[in-house]
This record gives sequence, structure tokens and C-alpha cells, in this order.
Amino acid sequence: MKTMKWLIKREMWENKGMLLWTPVAIAVAVAVLALASIFLGKSGNFEMNGHNIGTVTIEGAMRARIAETMAQAYVGAGMPVLMVLSLLVFFYCLNALHDERRDRSLLFWKSLPVSDFTTVMSKLLMAVVVAPLIAMGIAVVMGLVVMLAACVMLAMHGTNMFGAVLSQPDFYLTPLRLVGLLPVYVLWALPTVGWLLMVSSMARSKVFLWAVGTPVIGSLLLLWAEKVLNFGLDAGWIAAHITNRILLGVVPGSWLIFSKDTIALAHDEHKIALPDAIFNASWSTLGGASVWIGAAAGVAMIAIAVYMRRHREEA
Amino acid sequence: MSAIITAANLAKRYGKQTALDGASFNVEAGRIVGLIGPNGSGKTTTLKAILGLTPFEGELSVLGMDPRTQREALMNEVCFIADVAILPRWLKVRDAIDFVEGVHPRFDRAKAEKYIANTKLTPDMKVKAMSKGMVVQLHLALVMAIDAKLLVLDEPTLGLDILYRKQFYQNLLEDYFDENKTILITTHQIEEVEHILTDLMFIENGKISLAASMDEVGERFTEVMVEPQFMAAASALQPLSQRTVFGKAVMLFDGVHRQQLSNFGELRTPSVADLFVATMKGSYA
Repeated sequence: MKTMKWLIKREMWENKGMLLWTPVAIAVAVAVLALASIFLGKSGNFEMNGHNIGTVTIEGAMRARIAETMAQAYVGAGMPVLMVLSLLVFFYCLNALHDERRDRSLLFWKSLPVSDFTTVMSKLLMAVVVAPLIAMGIAVVMGLVVMLAACVMLAMHGTNMFGAVLSQPDFYLTPLRLVGLLPVYVLWALPTVGWLLMVSSMARSKVFLWAVGTPVIGSLLLLWAEKVLNFGLDAGWIAAHITNRILLGVVPGSWLIFSKDTIALAHDEHKIALPDAIFNASWSTLGGASVWIGAAAGVAMIAIAVYMRRHREEA
Repeated sequence: MSAIITAANLAKRYGKQTALDGASFNVEAGRIVGLIGPNGSGKTTTLKAILGLTPFEGELSVLGMDPRTQREALMNEVCFIADVAILPRWLKVRDAIDFVEGVHPRFDRAKAEKYIANTKLTPDMKVKAMSKGMVVQLHLALVMAIDAKLLVLDEPTLGLDILYRKQFYQNLLEDYFDENKTILITTHQIEEVEHILTDLMFIENGKISLAASMDEVGERFTEVMVEPQFMAAASALQPLSQRTVFGKAVMLFDGVHRQQLSNFGELRTPSVADLFVATMKGSYA
């Protein structure tokens, strides 16, 4: 346990720039844009018939509706951060077991009493738990900042929404729901993370080319073989499915696309609030077999990565 | 005294190239052993085998464990610096100490800090900002602070200046080494280590060609500055090597009685370097 703590710290030292400062920078950039549009945009002055009226009063049902939407959707402002997370996790995994071989620090790490299994686990934890939690934290903070700005804006025009928003249960539940999706993310990301860690432990160089080229060329070969030999498989489906699962699994929400045939968002039909609908739909993807097959494949590839780190001999 | 390392018939092949060809040796506890050999003789492969970093054939026991299957347990007791091991560029001095303290049960933080205080390293310095010698200093400080039963050093002082090299070997002998520790060291700078070694192992073409304590080496090998009139008689005793110093022939004998040789001229104990050159003559032929 203590060793794992230090291994995670080690990963943070190495990747702080990538896993912390990149999402922070993106969040700041997006927040600045959002704030600029709130305060400098046309909405700064309300004009009616050429007269600047300056104040707007929102009351009653409309007020409740706006408060509810804000409380549910503010985390949505952090979406760019969560999208960038997928890129960060992708490249983190790709380099995780390759950099230490390239810069030849591997022998230093191997001179310490830390097993290859523990080391690979620390990198896995970093990719599917620590990095997403960091990104979620930043996304929530950013959402709060943008929402506060919107409230301040409204307050300047005479409508105080603070109390209404803060009294919405969704305001507190939305970040929790986001964190509650982490297990779903881990399971769906496993095939991609496993594939990338495996490539990272095997390739001598050009890890990106190996990681992306192998499934693409494999898919093309499969499609060609199907055309020529006609063995009655849905080659297109297999190729697209496998390629997607081992390359795009780290994208948050990918599960909603991968299993869109079976899962319909209950939002429209049942008038459930969108965050709830996404949350429920996400968890219900775990009822299908596809996620577990992918996760098992991911675990197998991670086991290969551990074996490679233990037994591979560096020239 | 018990054997720390027992190796029998170690063999290892890289494709058609034979790296180890039936090497057998023992290393006793509380010794400082120099493993000396020309480039490509199998030195590094031997060390890698001991550290569980390479598969091989033959029998090998290190501290009673098999490095192939019990590597993790072994690393609690063994510490090493591989010649090619480099600290990662992003590592800070402070973080390096914290990390090793965190994961190694036998690390003594105060010791590491003491060694580092003797250098120009500062806690906030990153490896990428260090000179090559400073990186080695940091690595050595970390390793010397680990109370390991076996320390394996592969060219540990590469890139260090002479002042620090002398200091390092002095520290190694005075602060680090005791009767419970064993040090296995390879280096090309034989002159600098020969006075700290207790045992000598020569490796040639994947085989151990000489394994003896330094005392035995002193008894077995003798150098004679042969006076010109005894040249023929001395040559008849089949010297290992012959070279000329100040117009006098210097001959190196293996296993010839000192009494007998003292008739020919002045006797000396050969340096390890001279012995090495003499025994490895055919190595590149």
C-alpha cells in the first residue's frame, strides 16, 4: 500500500505537466472565453425599443426552471476538459512503459524492491482513476466558476439566482453523479488502456504507429480477406468494433455510442432530467456482454504488459 | 563464511554470439570482488544474470534465491548500479530520496543526505540540469544509503572526476563495507580498485579464467626484473609475459617459487592491470 502511494506520486512527478497542467490550462482558456462572452457580450445590456432597461426580473416557474437547468448543467461547461482527458490518458498509457525503456531509467526502477506487477498497476490506476478524478475536479471547478459568473451577471441585472441554484439538490448531486460514472469509465476504458500499455511495453520505437497502425492495417486486411475469400463474417462490423474499442475506449461517454443500439436515453420519453438519464443509461450498459468481453481482453493485455516488463531484456 | 553467490555452468547466447560459456564461480560473504574482463567477455551478462535481468542456462543461487524466479524478494537484499542505468530526467534530488525511502525498507535517509551534502547537488535540482558526474553522484548516494547484503556495481564511477572517484572508493570502504556485506564490482579502471579488492575474478570468452583472493594472487604471481645474464634461464621457466622497462626485461611468472626467481633479479608483486594484460593477451587474437 505504501509502495503504491509512492508509485502514484512518482507518476505524478513525471506527468504533472500533462495530467494536471494541460487540463487546467484548457479549463482556464475555456472559462476565460465563457466569462468574456457573459460580461462583454451583447447580453451585457438589455435594450428594448432603443431604451436601455438594464434590469430583468425573472420570477415564478421560469425562475425555478432556470435554476434547475443551471444546477444540472453547470458541469457541462467542463466538457472540454473531459474530452481532453481522453487524449491525455491515451498518450499517458502509450508512454507509460516505453519512456522508462527509452531513457534507460528502467534499470534504476528495477534496482528497487518493487515488483513489475505493482509498477504496471500504478500506471493503470493513474490512467483510469487518478487522471479522470483530476479532470473531473477541474471540470467541476470550472463549471462552478462559469455558473457563478452567470449568477453574478443576472444579479447585476436585478435577479438574484444564488439561493435558488444553491437550494437545488442537483447542484450537489451532479458532481457526485460524475464521480459515480468512474467505475463505468474504468470498465469501458480497459480494452484501450490494456492495448496501449501492451504496445508500450513491447514496441522498441514508434509506439503511436504500432498502437494505431496495427488495428487499422489489421482491419484493412480483414476487409480485404472478406472480399476475396468471402467467409461469411461481417468483417466490417468486426473491424470497426475492435478498432473502436481498443483506440477510443478512453473517451468519456464512449459507452453511450458503443452501445447505442441497446440503450436509449430515457430523457425524451420519460421526461427524466438529462444528467439522471445519462447516469442511468451509463450504468445500464454494464448489463450487456460487450463491456465485460472488452474488460477481460484489457486485463489479458495488461497481464502481457506485466510479463513483458518482467522478462523483456533490453539491449 | 558462507557463499553469497554460487554459479555453476552459466550459459547464455545472443543468437550466434556466446556471452557466457559455462562460467562457474563462488562469492563468499564479506568480500569485495572485482570481476575483470575485456569488452564482450560476458561481464555484464554475468551481472545481469545475478540480478535477474536476463534469462540464462545453468545453476545460480544468490543469497539462497534463484534470480529468475525470486527477483522481487532478492531486490530487498541486493542493490545495483548498472552501467547503463540512468536516472530519469524529470527526477528531483528531493523526490528521489523520498521515493527510495518510501519503497525500500533498508534505506537510511540520513546517510543519503550526508553523501549529498558532500556534493553540489541541491534538493530542488532536477536530473536534466545535472552534469553527467552529478547524476552518478546522486545515484551513488542513493545506493550507498541502502543497507544491502550484496551490492553490484557495473562501472560505477564512469564519468566522475578523479577527486570524486577516490572519495567514492574511500566511502565505500570506510562507511559502507563491513563483514556482512559483499560487493561485486566491474570496472576498466583497475588501478583504482585493486587496493580495495579482496578477491579477483578474470572472465574471458564467457568463462572464469582466474578466481583467487588477492593474497593468493600475490603468492602465485611474481614479477621479476631479470638481470641480462639470467635471461635464458628465466625464459626457460615460461613466463606469462615479458616486457621491457628501462632496458631491463620484466617477466611475469605464474606459480614459480619466489626463492628460485629471486636469483634472477629484483622481485615485485604484479599489479592487477599487468596481470590482466598478461593473461588476456590472446583475448583479441
